[in-house]
Amino acid sequence: MTRLALERVTFRYPATEAPALVDVSLEVAAGEVVAIVGSIGAGASTLLLVAGDLAPRVVGGHLEGSVAFDGEGVRGTVLPTPWTQLSGMAFAVWDEVAFGPANLGLARDEITRRVDRAIARLGIEGLVSREPTTLSGGELQRVIIAGILAMQPGLLLLDEPTAELDPIGARSLWELVRALAREGTAILVASSDLDALPAVADRVVWLDRGRLQAIGSAALLGSEALVAASLGTTVASVWHGARLPSPYPVSVAQALQRWERR
Amino acid sequence: MLIPVAAAISLALSAAVDAVALPLFLDTTGTILATALGGPVVGISTGVVTSAVNSLRNPTFWPFVAVQVIVALYAWMAARAGLFRSFKTAVPAGFGLGVIAAITSTPISYLVFGCTTTGGIALTTALGKALGLPPLGACFFGSFLADFGDKAVTFALVTSVLHGLPRRTAARFPWALRAIRAA
Amino acid sequence: MGAARHPRGLTRLHPFTLLSIAGALPALAWIVPSPSGGLSTAAVALGLAISARAFRTAIFTAAPFWLFLLLLHDVPTTIAIGFRITTMVASFVWVVAALPPPRLVEAMVAAGWSASAAYVFAATLSAVPVLRARAGRIADAQRCRGLSPRGGPVQRLRALRALAVPLILSALHEVDERALALETRRLVPGARRTPLSPPSDHAVERVMRWALAAACVAALAWRLR
Repeated sequence: MTRLALERVTFRYPATEAPALVDVSLEVAAGEVVAIVGSIGAGASTLLLVAGDLAPRVVGGHLEGSVAFDGEGVRGTVLPTPWTQLSGMAFAVWDEVAFGPANLGLARDEITRRVDRAIARLGIEGLVSREPTTLSGGELQRVIIAGILAMQPGLLLLDEPTAELDPIGARSLWELVRALAREGTAILVASSDLDALPAVADRVVWLDRGRLQAIGSAALLGSEALVAASLGTTVASVWHGARLPSPYPVSVAQALQRWERR
Repeated sequence: MLIPVAAAISLALSAAVDAVALPLFLDTTGTILATALGGPVVGISTGVVTSAVNSLRNPTFWPFVAVQVIVALYAWMAARAGLFRSFKTAVPAGFGLGVIAAITSTPISYLVFGCTTTGGIALTTALGKALGLPPLGACFFGSFLADFGDKAVTFALVTSVLHGLPRRTAARFPWALRAIRAA
Repeated sequence: MGAARHPRGLTRLHPFTLLSIAGALPALAWIVPSPSGGLSTAAVALGLAISARAFRTAIFTAAPFWLFLLLLHDVPTTIAIGFRITTMVASFVWVVAALPPPRLVEAMVAAGWSASAAYVFAATLSAVPVLRARAGRIADAQRCRGLSPRGGPVQRLRALRALAVPLILSALHEVDERALALETRRLVPGARRTPLSPPSDHAVERVMRWALAAACVAALAWRLR
């Protein structure tokens, strides 16, 4: 079941000539994780804003083509800088996580249920009575993600969700992403944590200067083109550097398999 | 969303002023900026919020909310007249606001506090009294000395900011482009 | 649940009641003739400040006024204005100490204020320390690049500009990001927000608030008679 369908989307920010997205078509189904990769300025963040109904509605600008969201729940976007995403209205972490559900006008016991569950899923039970402005970047990022999860989005849009996390935190976040997908959430994620993506993403989208260059399975991260653009996984890049034949393996497990079969 | 940020700017700038040790307040910067960016309603709201939050730290600021409202209205007229286009017009406009702000704050200061608001003004008022001015006159003298330079610096600062805004940010505030006539 | 959820004593009163007490005291101090009026309101306000352990703040804030009043005025005027200012300072200091902002915001939401109005107030409160910290960092950064906050007024003004402009521009840039973040969490104009822990409001307190307002009006009418 398709949750999000972008059809031939071209988007320009206000007061700019060059479009940030050019003729992009993309579908994300319920229970699917789609990863966007690209260099800085490729348009990944813009694509998430468009998919989340924040551009052009909030940021302004001009959109051609169509964006369709179909399904239950809201569209929840996690932006890359956690400190600008604090509600400013909560003076404790629990209330910060409850901010979105409260704005949805849910009943109080439903809010409590959802907030406690989101807090448990992110493993931030120890922070509930801390003041949000005193948290570290990694703690804050988890709090913000919990705040979006508590709204139970049907489509989850994540922009560099592991940027502030340490390696262990990043791994548990990716496990959470897979778990959410199993429950039926559609997930679109922009990430430069390329090595993590083969285990997380069902499909990978390569965006370059606003254009969709390629779309395919996670094996795309081992293609010659992405490795040449510095967007391949570490294993693929090593394989490439050793002048071994393409397509390159994307993970250590794949590399071992290939090596043994040789 | 502009209002809380602009109000916070007004209140946070005192930290910058402390760093250079100048006798300025700059506590109307956010109000003037918000007016130039978002129009009179946003400006007045910013002024009121600034006063309210400021009086949480020092309650003696609250009665001066009237000054913030006057400042917002003045800034709106200045923006409409295009006075933010260059420093040549902005600084005199700031001096003009200094006079108006002093006229507004004098009666408040005189009636409510007997002119003892904030160390600086009280001292200049004492100076005015020593010069032989009548009480109300000394009070105005004090407020005037405090406001005159402060508002001119504030106007110059807002002009700098308006001209320094990235186009993409400026495009979000239709009033901003009109204020500097860049559209 | 969140912190600061278990107020004790007077602070258990509804936020609006606390605010109306803090508003009525200074009003009465101005209306009722000096010195008895000002003296009694100042005594009440200082008593409240003591109950909230804010006595020292109140005294330190009010003291300079007394000094300047003595400098500028004769003794009766000093006493008249001094007690008014003391009342105002003490009752404000008390209400700030007794009323945590989250409770006030909750009360505003529960009373049917739009979430956006409550937001503006709360967001300003939480943004000020963030921006002040950033002002400090910008000052350090500019100092590293050789900016000196010393010298004549012109140099100082130039230094001020180098501190203030980046601070303001970065804050304005964040307006956009904040708008996006709030939008995605559904803080939209007109939305009915669920109050998370609405402060209890007894009928007695409502009556008390009206009585306070009536007392102020009555005092004013009596004074203008």
